[in-house]
Amino acid sequence: MMTNKLMEVPAPAISARRQARRDLVAALPWLLPALTLIVTIVLFPAGYLVWTSTRDVSVVGVDRGPAGFDNYVTLFDSPALGRVLLNTAIWVVGVVVVTLLVSMALAQFLDKAFPGRRLVRLAVIVPWAASVVMTATVFYYGLDPYYGVMNQFLVDVGILDTGFGFTRQPVPAFLVAMGVAVFVSLPFTTYTILAGLQMVPREVVEAASVDGAGPVRTYWSVIFPVLRPAIAVAVLINIINVFNSLPILRTLTGSIPGYDADTTTTLIFKYIQQDRQVETASALSVVNFVIVLAVIGIYLRVVRPMRDE
Amino acid sequence: MKRFVRSWAAVAVAGLTLTGCGFGGGDGQSEGGSTLSFLVPSYSDGTKSLWEGIIADFETAHSDVNVELEIQSWDNINDVVRTKVQSNAAPDILNIDAFSGFAADDLLYPADEVVSANTVADFQQSFADNASIDGTMYGLPLIASARTMFYNTELLERAGVAAPPKTWDQLLDAAKKVAGLGDGVYGYGMPLGSEEAQGETSIWTFGNGGSWTNGSTIAVNTPANLEAVTFMKRMIDEKATQPDPGASDRTPMLDVFIQGKIGMVVALPPTVGQIAEKNPSLKYASAPIPTRDGQPMTLGVADHLMAFKNKGDKQEAVKTFLDYVFSAPVYTKFVDTEGFLPTTKSGAAALAGKKEIASFLEVLPSARFYPSTNPQWATTQGAMQSLMGQIGQGKEPRAVLDEIQAKANG
Repeated sequence: MMTNKLMEVPAPAISARRQARRDLVAALPWLLPALTLIVTIVLFPAGYLVWTSTRDVSVVGVDRGPAGFDNYVTLFDSPALGRVLLNTAIWVVGVVVVTLLVSMALAQFLDKAFPGRRLVRLAVIVPWAASVVMTATVFYYGLDPYYGVMNQFLVDVGILDTGFGFTRQPVPAFLVAMGVAVFVSLPFTTYTILAGLQMVPREVVEAASVDGAGPVRTYWSVIFPVLRPAIAVAVLINIINVFNSLPILRTLTGSIPGYDADTTTTLIFKYIQQDRQVETASALSVVNFVIVLAVIGIYLRVVRPMRDE
Repeated sequence: MKRFVRSWAAVAVAGLTLTGCGFGGGDGQSEGGSTLSFLVPSYSDGTKSLWEGIIADFETAHSDVNVELEIQSWDNINDVVRTKVQSNAAPDILNIDAFSGFAADDLLYPADEVVSANTVADFQQSFADNASIDGTMYGLPLIASARTMFYNTELLERAGVAAPPKTWDQLLDAAKKVAGLGDGVYGYGMPLGSEEAQGETSIWTFGNGGSWTNGSTIAVNTPANLEAVTFMKRMIDEKATQPDPGASDRTPMLDVFIQGKIGMVVALPPTVGQIAEKNPSLKYASAPIPTRDGQPMTLGVADHLMAFKNKGDKQEAVKTFLDYVFSAPVYTKFVDTEGFLPTTKSGAAALAGKKEIASFLEVLPSARFYPSTNPQWATTQGAMQSLMGQIGQGKEPRAVLDEIQAKANG
């Protein structure tokens, strides 16, 4: 996006093209390290991924030759795929929407001046600073039906008679995982929106109130349009992060049999580690990549979050 | 995208490191000696120092051979090995459970080319057979494990169960009585989570005379297996097991037994040490695993050492090292320290008096093994790990077995 914008900048008329080429050559030695890095750790592995998805690889890793699209056929024949795709949609939409709504409220709250605001702002960062695996593990053990503190608490206050296996059945475990995903996504989203809020000119808000606009009207007509780019960035990054998120689901739903609590990302790892099918996993990774590109494309086209007002 | 980039970066770095290792091995060669890469899983916290000690002693005696040890966790070792094989950098010697996939791809030396005839002759016959494909032995059985039932004597007594159950019907009855005590106490611990669902299921199907193969092909949905799995579901439905067995892994479930909240479980040799460490006051005893008609049966598991051909220039060095590892004093110390069961005749004789493993050595003759020589077994096992627990979530046994069979067929 950035590069597109840069390239759209109209060049001065005088032999601009030759000048640009000369600049590029001059810049090359400085760009080389970055380019090498991109080629070796992004482009080459991505290419290797696509290559592997068209090979017949044995369970121990020996390449037995080309397989055409057989791996994709195997993948799309899998009876679990429908449910997994549905789960993925619920997972991404649910987590991103809830995170956004809670963050908008939280950011609004943190933007007000009140005693101890600094401490509250710090507290909001904590889930961000902690490792995701650690946070998910804390919830996993806390919700354990035999010795989990959260279960014990629910029993002690009389809500439950005995511990409930929150992480033992697909649907409750998936919901718990979504809750944890919202919890760890909040800090980044809140802070992005908070940064956006700081850019709302005080005079404009005052003017709105002088004109007789209530708080709701002020928010949607004055503040929200200014927040638009911040929200766009937050949503985009959240979509990508949540879609590719592995540790939360793996920790919380990893011991559940079957594929009822899997997203495409966790299914990739089940293909690798349990079925030992690297080639099918590669095919699914390629599909995953295409899906994420498509989702972002649709988001940018339909919502047009970046358009200038 | 971030995860995508990061994981591929890791792969790329691993790839570069591996190539580096390959060159390093070549350098060792040019100095006149051999460098062997040796990849092992971590059995316990002491595994690393145990191997390091063995290697140091070996290198003192054989200055021309250099052994480079690499330790991986059980969670990772399969991925690590596959990545190495894929990038043509397989270790010279590997310690892992199954060898058939490597043998099927013709990557391994036959056993008699990498150990002396004396060493081969020292393996107990059942383990040697279990390490052979079509009469050729590829794996060198390193350690064995068997299962037996542990029961909480206090709970069984309180529930009015006079003797530990021998048959399934007695087990169901005893488990229901223990569960009837209430107060968060469960009858039988059935771990069908992804950690080891294939182990628990095999205990039941083998206990019904079932098998996972039909000669050369994997056969999961046979009548004998279906009958066994149906009885497992009956145990679950009649609340004779802990809740949600489909998502219970063995390790955390054994902790619940060690806390004294489960009446009966099928346990492994290291469980003895875990009880001594975590809850020495637990009152328990062991008994043979109940089977449908009371015939003795246990699930045996053997892990193997295997030697990769790679460039084919290190066979002599590999042979020197492996013969050293399997020499009686070195081998006995290794098995004894790790707390497993020996696979060699000399090791069994040396450890016959060790009381922690006595109850397991007793049941070893009736051991049944996974069909790990079948190249499709790895896939079948993975399918069982991810799918078998569904019987604990209301799915019909027949449908689950059919689903696993379909995965096994590929």
